[in-house]
Amino acid sequence: MDGLRRRNFLKLSAVVTAALAGEGLTGWLRRLRAAAPPFPGGEDPDPPNETVARLIHDCVGDRQIKRGHVVLDMPDLAEDGRIVPVEINSDLPVAGDDYVKAVYLFVDFNPDPLVAAYHFTPANGPVAVTTRIKMRRTSWIRAIVESSTGEVWADYKKVETTLNGCG
Amino acid sequence: MPEIGKAKIVIPARIAKGDVIHVQAIIQHPMDTGFFRDANANIIPPYFINNVVVAYGGTEVARFVWTSGVSRDPIVGFTLKADREAPLAVTWKDNKGGVYSTSVDIAFASS
Repeated sequence: MDGLRRRNFLKLSAVVTAALAGEGLTGWLRRLRAAAPPFPGGEDPDPPNETVARLIHDCVGDRQIKRGHVVLDMPDLAEDGRIVPVEINSDLPVAGDDYVKAVYLFVDFNPDPLVAAYHFTPANGPVAVTTRIKMRRTSWIRAIVESSTGEVWADYKKVETTLNGCG
Repeated sequence: MPEIGKAKIVIPARIAKGDVIHVQAIIQHPMDTGFFRDANANIIPPYFINNVVVAYGGTEVARFVWTSGVSRDPIVGFTLKADREAPLAVTWKDNKGGVYSTSVDIAFASS
């Protein structure tokens, strides 16, 4: 490579680097996110009953709830309704003011359907929540994630249970 | 007899600066729903933790709102970006005014 071509090549790389840097990590992540939800959803849940619909509205308003970017991991069959393990993971990135603000966990047929709400800050990094909950009977479970930019993502799972854990 | 309010925070043994760590916090609490009856058919009144606050270096980083739908001796796992050496404190509050708190020190492993 002679001196001139080498110089052009260096100039070109500088321009490309600058362009990438200009767009920034946030922009890059946003494009990556827009490309395709990496977690394809399973079966669609039954429509929420009136109480659950109202509670969801209280949490996220009229915003559209899209499926993706959240994985709700629970057993298909919970033998003991008093102790049902729950794991909620999200791949939503944390960059500057863009972070997961809240995670809501709903159990449709529980006396208190909104079992838990988790509020986070950028200090938490990417969100992963684990807990153990009670279930009254077989029910759809909804994990709804709200980002600081106002996007709402969800995952759903139907969990069968035989032993009533709520009374 | 369980000791109500006895709590523990579990963090990884080795943490490097900047790691996103998984923190687990567990507390002994009956988490009574108010829907069950005791052996004499008296209703066991609701008695559960409804508020949890996580503070890192004195700054609130997360807050959880619970109902009695969380299991007895509630356990919660969450992420934290360990970007500085500071205490991590968790405070639980129940519906009868009980307040329980414990903390661990986030320290970085020397390499």
